[in-house]
Amino acid sequence: METMEIDSEKNLVRQQCAYYSLDEAFGIQKETYRGQQYSQIYFARLHLMRTLLYSLVSNWKPHLPVCRVLALEQGKECIIVGTLYKHMKLKPCILDEYSKERSATPLVQPHNFMHADDHLVLEDESGRVKLGGNILSLLDVLQETEAGEFLVQDFLEAGLPPQIKLPLISTGDKYVVFVSGLSIGSDNCNPLQVQLLIDHITGHLGDEKEQSIASQIVHVVIAGNSIEIPCGLLNGQNLASKDLSRLSEPIKELDILLSQIAAGLPLDIMPGPGDPANFSLPQQPLHRCLFPGSSAYNTFRSCTNPHLFELDKISFLGTSGQNIDDLEKYSEAKDKLEFMERTLRWRHLAPTAPNTLGCYPYTDRDPFFIESCPHVYFVGNQDKFATRVVKGSEGQLVRLISIPKFSETGVAVTLNLRDLECHALSFGTQLSS
Amino acid sequence: MSNGTRKRPSPPFQPSPGPQPKIQAFSQEEELADEDLFRDETLICEDEESLILRDIEQRQTLASRLAKWTRPPLSSEYLSQSRSIIFQQLEIDYVIGESHKELLPNSSGQAAIIRIFGVTKEGHSVCCNVHGFEPYFYISCPPGMGPDDISRFHQILEGRMREANRNSNVPKFVRRIEMVQRRSIMYYQQQSSHTFLRIVVALPTMVTSCRGILDRGIQIDGIGMKSFMTYESNVLFALRFMIDCNIVGGNWIEVPAGKYKTEKSLSYCQLEFDCLYSELISHAPEGEFSKMAPFRILSFDIECAGRKGQFPEPTHDPVIQIANLVTLQGEDQPFIRNVMTLKLCSPIVGVDVMSFDTEREVLLAWRNFIRDVDPDIIIGYNICKFDLPYLIERAETLKISEFPILGRIRNSRVRVKDTTFSSRQYGTRESKEVTVEGRVQFDLLQVVQRDYKLSSYSLNSVSAHFLSEQKEDVHHSIISDLQNGNAETRRRLAVYCLKDAYLPQRLLDKLMFVYNYVEMARVTGVPISFLLSRGQSIKVLSQLLRKAKQKNLVIPNVKQAGSEQGTYEGATVLEARAGFYEKPIATLDFASLYPSIMMAYNLCYCTLVTPEDVHKFNLPPESVNKTPSGETFVKSNLQKGILPEILEELLAARKRAKADLKEAKDPLEKAVLDGRQLALKVSANSVYGFTGATVAQLPCIEISSSVTSYGRQMIEHTKKLVEDKFTTFNGYVHNAEVIYGDTDSVMVQFGVSSVKEAMELGREAAEYISGTFIKPIKLEFEKVYYPYLLISKKRYAGLFWTKPDNFDKMDTKGIETVRRDNCLLVKNLVNNCLHKILIDRDIPGAVQYVKSAISDLLMNRMDLSLLVITKGLTKTGDDYEVKAAHVELAERMRKRDAATAPNVGDRVPYVIIKAAKGAKAYERSEDPIYVLENNIPIDPQYYLENQISKPILRIFEPILKNASKELLHGSHTRSISISTPSNSGIMRFAKKQLTCIGCKALLSNRDRTLCSHCKGREAELYCKTVAQVSELEMLFGRLWTQCQECQGSLHQDVLCTSRDCPIFYRRKKAQKDMAEAKLQLDRWNF
Repeated sequence: METMEIDSEKNLVRQQCAYYSLDEAFGIQKETYRGQQYSQIYFARLHLMRTLLYSLVSNWKPHLPVCRVLALEQGKECIIVGTLYKHMKLKPCILDEYSKERSATPLVQPHNFMHADDHLVLEDESGRVKLGGNILSLLDVLQETEAGEFLVQDFLEAGLPPQIKLPLISTGDKYVVFVSGLSIGSDNCNPLQVQLLIDHITGHLGDEKEQSIASQIVHVVIAGNSIEIPCGLLNGQNLASKDLSRLSEPIKELDILLSQIAAGLPLDIMPGPGDPANFSLPQQPLHRCLFPGSSAYNTFRSCTNPHLFELDKISFLGTSGQNIDDLEKYSEAKDKLEFMERTLRWRHLAPTAPNTLGCYPYTDRDPFFIESCPHVYFVGNQDKFATRVVKGSEGQLVRLISIPKFSETGVAVTLNLRDLECHALSFGTQLSS
Repeated sequence: MSNGTRKRPSPPFQPSPGPQPKIQAFSQEEELADEDLFRDETLICEDEESLILRDIEQRQTLASRLAKWTRPPLSSEYLSQSRSIIFQQLEIDYVIGESHKELLPNSSGQAAIIRIFGVTKEGHSVCCNVHGFEPYFYISCPPGMGPDDISRFHQILEGRMREANRNSNVPKFVRRIEMVQRRSIMYYQQQSSHTFLRIVVALPTMVTSCRGILDRGIQIDGIGMKSFMTYESNVLFALRFMIDCNIVGGNWIEVPAGKYKTEKSLSYCQLEFDCLYSELISHAPEGEFSKMAPFRILSFDIECAGRKGQFPEPTHDPVIQIANLVTLQGEDQPFIRNVMTLKLCSPIVGVDVMSFDTEREVLLAWRNFIRDVDPDIIIGYNICKFDLPYLIERAETLKISEFPILGRIRNSRVRVKDTTFSSRQYGTRESKEVTVEGRVQFDLLQVVQRDYKLSSYSLNSVSAHFLSEQKEDVHHSIISDLQNGNAETRRRLAVYCLKDAYLPQRLLDKLMFVYNYVEMARVTGVPISFLLSRGQSIKVLSQLLRKAKQKNLVIPNVKQAGSEQGTYEGATVLEARAGFYEKPIATLDFASLYPSIMMAYNLCYCTLVTPEDVHKFNLPPESVNKTPSGETFVKSNLQKGILPEILEELLAARKRAKADLKEAKDPLEKAVLDGRQLALKVSANSVYGFTGATVAQLPCIEISSSVTSYGRQMIEHTKKLVEDKFTTFNGYVHNAEVIYGDTDSVMVQFGVSSVKEAMELGREAAEYISGTFIKPIKLEFEKVYYPYLLISKKRYAGLFWTKPDNFDKMDTKGIETVRRDNCLLVKNLVNNCLHKILIDRDIPGAVQYVKSAISDLLMNRMDLSLLVITKGLTKTGDDYEVKAAHVELAERMRKRDAATAPNVGDRVPYVIIKAAKGAKAYERSEDPIYVLENNIPIDPQYYLENQISKPILRIFEPILKNASKELLHGSHTRSISISTPSNSGIMRFAKKQLTCIGCKALLSNRDRTLCSHCKGREAELYCKTVAQVSELEMLFGRLWTQCQECQGSLHQDVLCTSRDCPIFYRRKKAQKDMAEAKLQLDRWNF
């Protein structure tokens, strides 16, 4: 396809980079629902974690015995590996639907379900035990107290996973653009703003300098919530045909926008909580039949959520935001980046799944376990743009990015592959007169 | 109950071997008069005892563990007997023993010895043997009988008694006969007293036999054959003792130092002593003595390994686990948690797991545990009917003769006895009675059944109701599998068993049963065990007897003439003007109407004037009241009634308790006071019922019919006054209108539109009308209903306002929300409609809601769990006379799979399915799981007509004009969808062919998803499919994680099969639907 054809002396050529998708782990093609329950994914997770943590224990507190919950003895220090479970009083529960006082339930869902009475429980295959003392993580040194409660003295978390070294060779600036929450079809969506974004990416905007920067954009990632289907349309059981067309209106619009980008450069689109995709994680790629126009390009890639890929050997891991949003409901941190950092340290992308975050009931593995540390870790559909670099104990460096909702902020994010520097790209349509 | 030969309680006080005296039990005419304290005790012979000793030695390790749990050791003051013993008693009974030589030097032979069990405030267990109290009753003395005649009469009676009790070797049956001055409580009498004879007999059971003789008549020289009316001859001995010593249930008793003797130790109690009944000091439950002693409460549950398809039977199936929790009264956490298991069981955190190789060891360990922990109260769920009898019968099967020593008396065995409990209020229940001496049994199932009206009484639904917690339910067919697995699976079972032991304790705490029942015992004066094992009337009788004793009155033992004494007109209900009232409705209530009437008009046994006496006494009209039902009662200036006096005291005490409650800060003190005021209220209200019950101790229809007649008059009077006074004629803005009136309340529409104005007028009316009544009858204004939906008599709903700013709650009466045989859908529909109508004030919304629910039902989109109807299977199919849906289903399920089919005692859930035309309803019932698995269509018409229509129409008829037409026959009922069963005959011949997802047209071989026609609509059709999947996934996740949460484990599969749980079927369905939806979605992968 044509690159930018400008009547200047110098033809700008779009930079390229090597793309390699690692989404396979998140595919659920062959898996089926055969009556399996969630215990197996917990089991698989515990197994993975235990193997990992046991190898760390010898360097950490070699003098302490490692045991199971059941083998705990009163007054003895020991180390237990287990799944943490938080008992929460305010956590919404499906049984509430059946409770008598219907009017007692608040109409507005609280943002956070924490309560002073919440307590933690540590569980392994053998049993569970209530925790007391200084708490927070996946591995704990415990001492039994009288009441059958376990006093946490110290804890060990898995820490950042090992990282493959960043490739050194880098010829110059190459940018990746992240955007999320386009929400085509919603009232918030400003078509002009979206068009500006696309024009910028495709190099149809600005002067030569700006176009030359645009030509360095090598990849676009759309991290979820691209479409917003008017609420209530899908709840009704019988859709009239005119509703049906209203339903597909925003999808068609998105297809047109995406084909503009795909015509110019590679594009990854991830499903988000509001998209026409399945609900539970990992969300499967948006179906190609939704995008008859853009899917014709081989630069168009519909991906899973979470999404794992490499660009010029730099590894990227990201989600459309459900994992972090869910953590926020049940715990506290100073900002979203801290939640992101925690998931890395815990080596688990979705620690609240399946309990409060829907996920597929895997039987033999836990795809959310982070085996190797990505270089870039992004999360879509957040309130505002934020970024930070996290350093691991073994020299790992991870760029964290929280991508804001475009429809609300008009902000997309660019990342320079050369030095992993990150900037907001803000589009305004307000004309100051 | 009657004419049976029973073993007499053998005296444990003389452990000499040899033949035990056996006495023929007398025929008894009245069940209620039956002495309840037959104790079947057998002594253990010497070598058995040594066997037990050896057994204990062998288990030294266990013993040391148990030793940790024993009660605090006695202080030196107690040991030296230098201090008085003050304890709170919980249980009072009696035994027959040799009379105490030292305390009663003048008497000999057998005597009744009262035993009082209790706990001191330090937590020591007490067994107090009280001597010297003798059973007695009264007869009226025939006129002209002198002291000489009495001694002759004594001899004759003694002779007749000896004849009737040939097997007894008591030296003297009738101890003595005294002349006393008393008066009968019945009817107004002008003389202040008459001569009565007080007949003192040797043993409590002889009261009955003696009464029989006197009832039938006795030949007396000079007078001839004469039968006697007996008085207070049906008072249970323990109650008699309590009344005479001023002891009320659960109060504190003091025995001063030096007045008690400790010598023998026949019980396991720490403090055991003998004393005379006259030395007891009974403390009124006030101040320091209103507190509770630190009782030990044991909550336990057993698990049995039943055979496949059968309910466990003690003759076959072993007891495999016993879980125990012991809590000190007043503390919120148990201090002992343990579980005894058969075969090895993995440890459980915070729980002492004791595993044994044989069942014998399990049972004996439990027996030892009971002895060492020495619980005062034993609680559990259905323990009286299941757990305790099972353990005892199982031990019998295994021939463990030393097991049933569970009571506090050494060497006394517990036996199981079948009893029937019959009461007008609670109906007849068959149950097993296990008497554990000295320990109160408090079966939460019985208590909840008594005190609350619920749709189901399974532990699961009761705890869901009160604790908002679902309980994991392991089907009994799995229990054996878990037991036969390994230590881990048994641990799983143990955790389940522990939870079942924990929930009764939680219920006990939550519902404040200990406080409420102890207070009820204190207020009414009966032992706590009576509250559970007996009906209402004993409570009133106890108060009546106490009061009568003060007044020198005696209560006749009235022969019950036939079963029915005729009925009388009940409470009145003013005609209900059905409708939906959108203006505030003020409600005027009579505060404790019936007690007030009895007080105001001095209605009592002793103020009633018989029709003959009316003429004879020639009473001045100003000192009598003629009631609207035509009876005559004297006013209080001539004779103050006993019932009014009791009521006055109860109500005054309640006022005091309520005032104290406001002052109280300490939560434990508050609990006591709240329990007391509740007990006082209930007691005051039950007095009227006592006089009206036809099968009771002392029925008096004259009183009860007078009460209701006054009640009716008052309601009419109120209506008239309101409608006369609050008129535009008298300067009010609107004419007031009484729209409805029930037993003790009148609903008035004053016509004003704000709640505030209605409240002001309501107060004014209440004050004005109260002034026209005799004190203490009082009309109170309490609440306003706004809006108010009046359906018919005793059926209404409305928002309840007590303050002008916000409503307090939604109040409904008589509307199907808790009926057992309704499906959940009805309850939800009714609740949601009322919510929409009353709170949201959105009638069109409510109509729309009903329509869409009906449409969902017809379109087969309804959540199956909403349609499940549950009924208890009480007998097997053959025993039912009429074919019933659930019974037929149980039979069919048994044919399918005997192992999981419901048994007698289980609840059978079913749905009504579509079947061949003309099939009877009972043939169309089906197991919901089977329906889910095989896609069997349910019958929406059945649900529409038999379940939904009536309750819904009832609500909407006052609101909508053509409710039935509008709601049940509108356009929303036109489209019907019925799923195709996957197992029906015809389907086996059908060839499956894919249809287009868009238009259901058959697809040619090449296409897999859409027909060529629908190709252009791919995006929208895909959205639809994926939205369904998405919704199901969300549901799947929420349902299954909820079940994980409930079972308390993430790493183990959910096993629960609780059919009472509202999400059980949904969970199953989500699993199945998910698999199907996934297949649908996969068709898009072309």
